[in-house]
Amino acid sequence: MTTRAGELRPDATSDPKNWTNRLRGWFEGLVPPGEALPARQPAYVASWIYVFGVLTLTSLVVVIASGCVLALGGVAWWHVSSVGHFFNSIHLWSVELFFGFMVVHLWGKFWMAAWRGKRALTWITGIVLFGISIGTSFTGFLSQSNFSAQWIGAEGKDGINAIGAGAFFNVLNPGQMLLWHVVLLPLGVGLLTLLHIILVRRHGVVPPLDADLEG
Amino acid sequence: MSRDRTPDSHDFPTRRYDLVKEFVIALVVVLVLSGALAAIFSSPDEKPITMSAWAKADPDNLITTAAGELAGTTTSAGYGAPYNTAAEGQKLGPLPLQKLGGVRIPINSADLVLGPLSNVSDNPVVNTALATWKAATPDQQTKWATAYTDAIGTAAADGAPATGAGGEVAKVKPGDYGPVPALSAGLLTLAKTGGLEGALTSSGNFYGGDQTKSLLLLADGAYLEDQAVAQNLAGDQWGMMNEVGNAPGQPWMWLYTFWYQVKPFSTSDNADAEVWGLMMVLTLLLMFLPFIPGLRSIPRWIPIHRLIWRNYYRSTKRA
Amino acid sequence: MSGLSIVVAEGPGKYIHWGVIQISVANLAIIGAMVLLFILALVVPFPTHDDESGDQEGQGR
Repeated sequence: MTTRAGELRPDATSDPKNWTNRLRGWFEGLVPPGEALPARQPAYVASWIYVFGVLTLTSLVVVIASGCVLALGGVAWWHVSSVGHFFNSIHLWSVELFFGFMVVHLWGKFWMAAWRGKRALTWITGIVLFGISIGTSFTGFLSQSNFSAQWIGAEGKDGINAIGAGAFFNVLNPGQMLLWHVVLLPLGVGLLTLLHIILVRRHGVVPPLDADLEG
Repeated sequence: MSRDRTPDSHDFPTRRYDLVKEFVIALVVVLVLSGALAAIFSSPDEKPITMSAWAKADPDNLITTAAGELAGTTTSAGYGAPYNTAAEGQKLGPLPLQKLGGVRIPINSADLVLGPLSNVSDNPVVNTALATWKAATPDQQTKWATAYTDAIGTAAADGAPATGAGGEVAKVKPGDYGPVPALSAGLLTLAKTGGLEGALTSSGNFYGGDQTKSLLLLADGAYLEDQAVAQNLAGDQWGMMNEVGNAPGQPWMWLYTFWYQVKPFSTSDNADAEVWGLMMVLTLLLMFLPFIPGLRSIPRWIPIHRLIWRNYYRSTKRA
Repeated sequence: MSGLSIVVAEGPGKYIHWGVIQISVANLAIIGAMVLLFILALVVPFPTHDDESGDQEGQGR
């Protein structure tokens, strides 16, 4: 790059000491060029088992969207409004769909040994996501402000108190449980989902078992 | 993993594919499914049990529970951390996990009764009883309350005979119970007015928001649990998986709740800590499966993958 | 309450007992549907349109 006076000056965008350049470089290197939103896929991706990942993801979208609608009306809205109750029902059923599709996705990935080829972290983030999702649904049930919430709190407290966590995570405190449910745990689910998907796009869909034995 | 010869997925033949269209189609499918399921099956919303409902449905049990809080014999009174130091709590092997959490939510069970009652200004019987209670020594207080709970007793159940008055407060024999009967009856009256939850949670701080005290008192009684057992929600009924009525619950909790149904957990005092410990180990095994020899080879031994990739195997055989 | 509430009605639900196992009809239906979906996903043919032109060897990128 030349200045107006015609001298050569080092290109600012390639200065390796520049933090912005380094961050941009790291960011651009996360996924191979063209692989973030590719228009082609390996020919061996030819089974209905492959749709359960995107079904899980879209279920999560509906869970969050219906949750946002519930948040508009507040904690008690669905008890007094039939529209609110309908969105509560969508929230419940999209959660059931989310878990159902996620577990079928897990079964598929297990039988494909999808952790091969440097994909262990993809597998690990998936299992952690499963765990955090269970915690998110637990805090959701505790936020219902009805008989179920009372009973789940009364019973759940014993399990959590038994391991010493009850001193910090009080399932009998709906104020705390609701904030974990709508802020902290969805942030965790969201960030890990993003990481999980980046890893899938980064490494590509795992090749068939014994493909390495082909000529 | 040094023998992992998995080739790069980018080295394979490809076909055209529309990622965004697939996402949109999946989103529409899920929206339609969720909407339809919501419209057809709705979602359960069983009203919470109020103190007033408990007081009206089972007044004897509320009085018994109140006396038990004063005697220090209820579940919450003898719980240990995080509420008090009355018990050691559960251990995982040698680790006193429950105690390690510390008493960070201090609850004095007697205060679950005395606190709300001390705000009552229009009941001279209750005021006198409170004064008598406060003036007595702790030993005397325990003596009165224990004598009263023993006198009320329990109904016959599971082959065990009835004790005391069989749980019926009206049939309690005269005895030296001090102010305990008046305090318990006072709490019942307060519960019936609908003001007990507020007295326990928002009195003094206006906003409330933390139902710990109300839920501990409710859970110390039998009414909440009776309603739960009737709906198959108890721990020994696989309750962790279930919901009220015919609603779907949390089927993914099946393995967590399974252990509670079988020995040694079903008869262990440390069942909660032990089941948690076991589930943590199993979760770690699942998480680190890629690194565990044997387990990670199961997909090779049981070749379900040959169904998934049958097109590929067929086409490479032909080539 | 919105919805036809065909299954999610008030009153105790229907449960199946088998030895130590107790499971609600609703949960069993969900688990059954998942297993069925998994099996179907494995066996139902996936449309691949093998007559597409332009399939190419991927280049290592």
